[in-house]
Amino acid sequence: MTRAASWAILLLGITYFVLPLLGMVEFSLSMRRGEYSFDAYAAVLADPQFRQTFSYSVVMALLTIVFGILLVVPTAFWVRLKLPRLRPVVEFVTLLPLVIPAIVTVFGYIRLYNTSSWLPLTGTIFGTNLLLMFGYAMLSLPYMYRAVDTGLRTIDVATLTEAAQSLGAGWVTIIVKLILPNVLVAVLSGSFVTFAIVMGEFTMAALLNRPAFGPYLQLMGANKAYEPFALATIAFIITWACMGLIQLVTRFTKHDKAGR
Amino acid sequence: MTDLTSPPPKRRWHPSLTWLGLLPFALFILLFLVLPTMKIVIGAFQRADGSFTFENIAGLFTASILSSYWISIKISVASSAFGCLIGFLMAAAMVLGGLPRGIRSPLMTFSGVASNFAGVPLAFAFLATLGPLGLVTMFLRTEFGINLRAMGFNILSFWGLTITYLFFQIPLMILIITPALDGLKREWREAASCLGASGAQYWRIVALPILFPTILGTFALLFANAFGAVATAIALTGSSLNIVPIMLFAQIRGDVLGNPHLGYAMAFGMILVTGLANVVYIVLRIRSERWLK
Amino acid sequence: MSFLTISHLEKSFGVTRVVKDFNLDVEKGEFISLLGPSGCGKTTVLRMVAGFESPSAGNITIEGREVSSLKPNQRNIGMVFQAYALFPNLTVAQNVGFGLRVKGVPAREIAARVEEMLALIGLPELGDRYPFQLSGGQQQRVALARALAPKPQVLLLDEPLSALDAKVRVSLRNEIRAIQRELGITTIFVTHDQEEALSMSDRIVVMHQGVAEQVGSPFEIYNAPATRFVAGFVGTLNTLDAQVLDPATGRVKLGENELTLGRAVPPGEATLGLRPEMLRLGAHPGEAALTGTITELDFLGSVIRLRIDLGGQKLAVDLFNTTRQAPPKVGETVSLALNPADALVIGA
Ligand SMILES: Nc1ncnc2c1ncn2[C@@H]1O[C@H](COP(=O)(O)OP(=O)(O)O)[C@@H](O)[C@H]1O
Ligand SMILES: [Mg+2]
Repeated sequence: MTRAASWAILLLGITYFVLPLLGMVEFSLSMRRGEYSFDAYAAVLADPQFRQTFSYSVVMALLTIVFGILLVVPTAFWVRLKLPRLRPVVEFVTLLPLVIPAIVTVFGYIRLYNTSSWLPLTGTIFGTNLLLMFGYAMLSLPYMYRAVDTGLRTIDVATLTEAAQSLGAGWVTIIVKLILPNVLVAVLSGSFVTFAIVMGEFTMAALLNRPAFGPYLQLMGANKAYEPFALATIAFIITWACMGLIQLVTRFTKHDKAGR
Repeated sequence: MTDLTSPPPKRRWHPSLTWLGLLPFALFILLFLVLPTMKIVIGAFQRADGSFTFENIAGLFTASILSSYWISIKISVASSAFGCLIGFLMAAAMVLGGLPRGIRSPLMTFSGVASNFAGVPLAFAFLATLGPLGLVTMFLRTEFGINLRAMGFNILSFWGLTITYLFFQIPLMILIITPALDGLKREWREAASCLGASGAQYWRIVALPILFPTILGTFALLFANAFGAVATAIALTGSSLNIVPIMLFAQIRGDVLGNPHLGYAMAFGMILVTGLANVVYIVLRIRSERWLK
Repeated sequence: MSFLTISHLEKSFGVTRVVKDFNLDVEKGEFISLLGPSGCGKTTVLRMVAGFESPSAGNITIEGREVSSLKPNQRNIGMVFQAYALFPNLTVAQNVGFGLRVKGVPAREIAARVEEMLALIGLPELGDRYPFQLSGGQQQRVALARALAPKPQVLLLDEPLSALDAKVRVSLRNEIRAIQRELGITTIFVTHDQEEALSMSDRIVVMHQGVAEQVGSPFEIYNAPATRFVAGFVGTLNTLDAQVLDPATGRVKLGENELTLGRAVPPGEATLGLRPEMLRLGAHPGEAALTGTITELDFLGSVIRLRIDLGGQKLAVDLFNTTRQAPPKVGETVSLALNPADALVIGA
């Protein structure tokens, strides 16, 4: 491939990616006739529903992250340490949520955990929130698991554990004091991806009827002219921030390792 | 592992204790992935009273449902094929095209962002750009007198949705294929060249076969990604385009098909399609990787 | 006109000149080694011959034809890389047949040639294997067969043995040389291993910082190094500072000792180069004698290496290990004999 062709492909690609973002931002600034303004943003921020749904999603995201860490870190650690032969199987299972569409899974939840079932999660608000959090955790499982598993690969789990055990440390101590700090970067990366996924998620929240940010976005899109674009811009900035933070923590540890 | 000090009765307990460590994960997968999916699969073959039937599956074979599957598959194939192709070209330009190294890190970060920027906001971004009043639509009309709508382009269409989906499909391909392109050794290219091969021959006989499993896997992933995408489609088209996820969404919300178990069948169809795509991928991959351990 | 000529070849990457005024004439069928430390520009020269780098200046001709403007795939050159570089998705037979396949040679002819090449490298049964199923030595043989199958005019090898373990390295070294002789193919072999270069080559080019310091037969390079660098890089060499007492007869003073080289040397200070194996213990008629004290003794099996203090200057001496003679001891003062004609007088 010649250099000129490479530049051409790259520039065309960049144009494709920049134009929608430009259109989105331009629209979000066009609420006032004839000049650019932040009116749409002001309107959005003043909307109590925005604040409610946004904080609902933030809280859900944080809960999902905590649950995801509690589920994935011990599992990935255990598989590496005790059941290495099972690793391909577990890895395959964690990739399944990418293959089975979310709408199918949540449909299953609704039918399986309805009020007349053996585990009537959708009967209460708390139960539905819990169910939604499990759903979010399932959606982010592929990313969380891969991040943590890659993080564990860089440290010698077995040796570290043996060393700790010979010093009389219990399992909890081993995981909290030893494994976690070592996979902290991986866990952070997985957490940021999870955050971005939960903040933008629509299908599960909408079908479980929870007041999350995603359904609110869709509702605004159907009813307002400029606000949706301000919201989309905010959503984009959140995504960007999450990915930027991943870069930052990764780079941070790279330097850390080089310094050793 | 060979704990010689522990007494025999205790040792008998070891295997089950080891498996116990996997219990939370297994329980989570069972409750929130396997059982819900099973519920759908079984429900697809049940009447309301619970008796076994093929009626629901047969019910899928109506013109409107079949066409929704057909257009969903078309959009998914098109957006993953173009996504793979364009993503591949961009990654190849970046890795092999002699472009400055400095481009790489920002492009990879952006790919991470864009591949996660799906759903409702993405639909808004494209509405603002290619919608009836969008940036590009207006620009073309006022500056060049080109009327996209008159030319038959509509964002609420097969092509509109495909172009929109490419916004997350291309970056996903870039993210996956770049490490694979890095894995192509410079010596392979040089050896081929010394032996008289043209650039095209090198790609056809050596590079593409080596990359084939990765490309194929990415294609299967992108396909599932597009086939299951609900939010973008709903936010973009409302319910004006009959694709499977939108129909299923409406069915779950309000039983628009008038038969709750037809919803099971539709969902089962979705699992079948993405599952089949992945089986094809796995089979092709095994066949194409004889040269790997 | 030689078969392959390289004249006034230069290469710069940015501002650093990595190859400077490189000249070489290679005869048809000759085996030439480029020998030098890592980073001296050997690979760069080879890559310019192959066409992967374009020279900043200078010419390369093969059979009188200027090749600088030709792309690598038009040059008809075979190349073997350090890391084998076999195509992992093709079988051994497909790898060997690759060059013919892309030229559009009929399948039957390809099969015949592949069989011939696999027999030549001694792996006739491995045609259906994939590269990952072969050992390093086998892979490198296949790489050689692949390079040779299209009958190239010139064969280039870039450190083909350095990724292999020691035993395989020596046997493959001999095998490559035998195949090269049998086919009579003009070959340039890059290595940083002097033993490889000395044992395989018709002629050696010793390179240092992008410059060809000396071109000559292994015998010439070892026994008559042209520069201090060549003398020091090829083999072990004691360099000793001496005072010239009589430039005409070559009488010099080496610490406490005096010896007469029997040839003219420039007046003033001189640097003498003595190989460890040039010296013997004891006095021998007709040879110059040096006296010194043993400071160290290393037993290396067939050889005993002594470190001797010659009035302030260190000298390494190799003795053959024989059972007939008790080895000397550290601290002894010994007399060493040397044929003055062997001593090297090192210039710049
Ligand atoms: N593509 C390149 N860009 C910049 N410098 C290079 C390049 N290739 C080689 N060099 C430099 O040129 C010098 C000679 O390299 P090389 O020919 O590979 O040495 P050798 O093969 O003798 O070890 C080295 O200092 C190396 O760093
Ligand atoms: Mg080199």
